[in-house]
Amino acid sequence: MSQPIISLEGIHKYYGEVEPRLHVLKGIRLDVTQGEFVSIMGTSGSGKSTLLNLLGCLDVPTEGSYFLGGNDVSQQSDDELSRIRNEDIGFIFQSFQLIPQLTVLENVQVPLLYGDSSIREKEEHCRSILDSVGLSHRLSHRPSQLSGGECQRVAIARSLVNDPLILLADEPTGNLDSKTGQEVLELMDSLHAEGRTIIMITHDQEVALRAQRQVRIHDGLVIEEAS
Amino acid sequence: MISRKKKELLRMGLQSLLGYPMRTVLTMLGVVFGVGSVIAMLALGAGAEKELLQEIGRLGIQNIIINSVEPEQPENNNSSGGRRGWINYYGLKFKDHRQIVETIPGIERVLPVHLSKKKAWNGSRWIESTLFAVEPDYFEVFGLEIASGRALSPQDEEDLARVCVVRSGLLQELGIYEDPIGYVLTIEDQKFTIVGVLSEDRFQGYAQKALVADARSSEIYVPYQTVLKRQGTRSFSGSAGSWEATDVELNQIVVEVEDLDQVILTSRTIENLLSRNHPEKDYEMIVPLEVLAQRRKTQQVFNIALVAIASISLLVGGIGIANIMLATVTERTREIGVRRALGAQKRHIIAQFLTETTTISILGGVLGIFLGFGLVQILVIFTGWTAVITPISILVALTISVAVGITSGIYPARRAAALDPISALRHQ
Ligand SMILES: Nc1ncnc2c1ncn2[C@@H]1O[C@H](COP(=O)(O)OP(=O)(O)OP(=O)(O)O)[C@@H](O)[C@H]1O
Ligand SMILES: [Mg+2]
Repeated sequence: MSQPIISLEGIHKYYGEVEPRLHVLKGIRLDVTQGEFVSIMGTSGSGKSTLLNLLGCLDVPTEGSYFLGGNDVSQQSDDELSRIRNEDIGFIFQSFQLIPQLTVLENVQVPLLYGDSSIREKEEHCRSILDSVGLSHRLSHRPSQLSGGECQRVAIARSLVNDPLILLADEPTGNLDSKTGQEVLELMDSLHAEGRTIIMITHDQEVALRAQRQVRIHDGLVIEEAS
Repeated sequence: MISRKKKELLRMGLQSLLGYPMRTVLTMLGVVFGVGSVIAMLALGAGAEKELLQEIGRLGIQNIIINSVEPEQPENNNSSGGRRGWINYYGLKFKDHRQIVETIPGIERVLPVHLSKKKAWNGSRWIESTLFAVEPDYFEVFGLEIASGRALSPQDEEDLARVCVVRSGLLQELGIYEDPIGYVLTIEDQKFTIVGVLSEDRFQGYAQKALVADARSSEIYVPYQTVLKRQGTRSFSGSAGSWEATDVELNQIVVEVEDLDQVILTSRTIENLLSRNHPEKDYEMIVPLEVLAQRRKTQQVFNIALVAIASISLLVGGIGIANIMLATVTERTREIGVRRALGAQKRHIIAQFLTETTTISILGGVLGIFLGFGLVQILVIFTGWTAVITPISILVALTISVAVGITSGIYPARRAAALDPISALRHQ
């Protein structure tokens, strides 16, 4: 097996400064290899989002080590974590998280603002990504003028703009009806087919089954589901 | 040169402002009015200083003016019954003039001036006027411009000529409408020929007071020697059996100092000399240079107070920006979370909010400068005050605007940057 792109080793996460602290993740071990599509399931409050935030470098583990693309990122500075989020991670949120006063194109360009490449140079790139998610005709619309499915496709386009190592999706279909949800999932499938590494949280057994590998969080630990 | 990246960040800040145009404009208003009033106040202050300079400057900053002052009457002489036959003898003497000329160094010229209240007649019309017995140089020293005819000359002095120079206001009051040059006025019982008319540039305010000039511009300038030799210095006034005589040898001595640096020192020396000659202080010294310095100081204190008051509105404007920005941070918490998740560092968030606040305040500042110009125009039209908008005041206004933008933005910006990305993303 090739070198894993994600490697978690003995990850613990506690919430709170004072006892009794909430012990959410209790020694998680997880390897994800390049090109895998992993779904994460678990009861509400089991710590799925907590794990995804750690994977996305929005938070740091209380204990344990996290290797992303071979680098230890478990105890980095805030600026360094920001840079990793910008370059290596693509987020797709349940509630889309688009910036309301910006147009579709501008929303997709936001990650470029905080990286090294210039917006002007990447303009064509952004347009072609938006084209690939089927939104080339809505470039100058604002999020309020789009449907939920369209918003999520903008968010997916945005997550791809810096060509990240991994895509992290926290219930990407949670706010969508089943038909548009299907469309978004098909998009995810095609991204996986292109060789992208995707980790997706879901409640839905059926949705989870689209992934090639399913894991479940239970009692703060990761359990592999037999597929 | 700012990098392309910075330009992009700047553009993003502006995009956010354009996203909320109404709020942006309303937030800006505080700065607009603040800067407008600061500009207006600075302009009025500079105008007042300019006026001061002109007014006192007319007295000549190299001059020292000494006026005779009637001393306080002793109590027993104040009752009208006891004044019969009283000669009121006070003020500057010929001796003072001579001693100044002979003993004070570094003096360009010393001009004696004698004043008397006289009735000037044109046929049956008369006017109460002030006769200024002056040497020819008086016109030059105080910049009195001749509108027509000529000034008094040394030849007039020699001839004890009965000639005079008047103001056009006096001509009107006496009903002289034809060419006044050569016209003969009767002053008391003597006939004086008008040889020149002064331009209507009258002394005002402080200068008028210092030169004992007439508010109604009915001064009549006559040769010094003519008055002295033909009339003497004593003047009588009386009615119904009681008479009163006043004898003031010189009402005024004007000293022009050669060197500007020596004006104050010379004034002290003259003061010493005079105080020895006049134990009862029946004169006053006016040093325009000193007066100017004092008035300027007062004016500057006043200006600072004005600007300070105007700055309060600017401060309020700044607080307005800070306030709106704090509200904006709360309202845009999710946006901040999104930007952080997408890779924005804290400094990017700070830069974004500071860009917004400084843009608001600079734009507000520029509009405020225009408003200031307008305010000044209106004030000048309705009050007649002098106002001067200096380039420095514009620079000051712009600098203050930038400072207001940065200081009012720094707290909200830091608050925004300090937000935890995860909870910011969850914010409703
Ligand atoms: N910032 C926090 N401070 C304290 N407790 C937290 C914090 N974030 C999450 N928790 C707690 O940690 C536990 C795990 O939360 P998490 O959001 O990871 O659950 P989840 O599996 O994503 O649930 P859901 O399916 O409802 O989204 C919950 O009990 C939650 O209350
Ligand atoms: Mg969750």
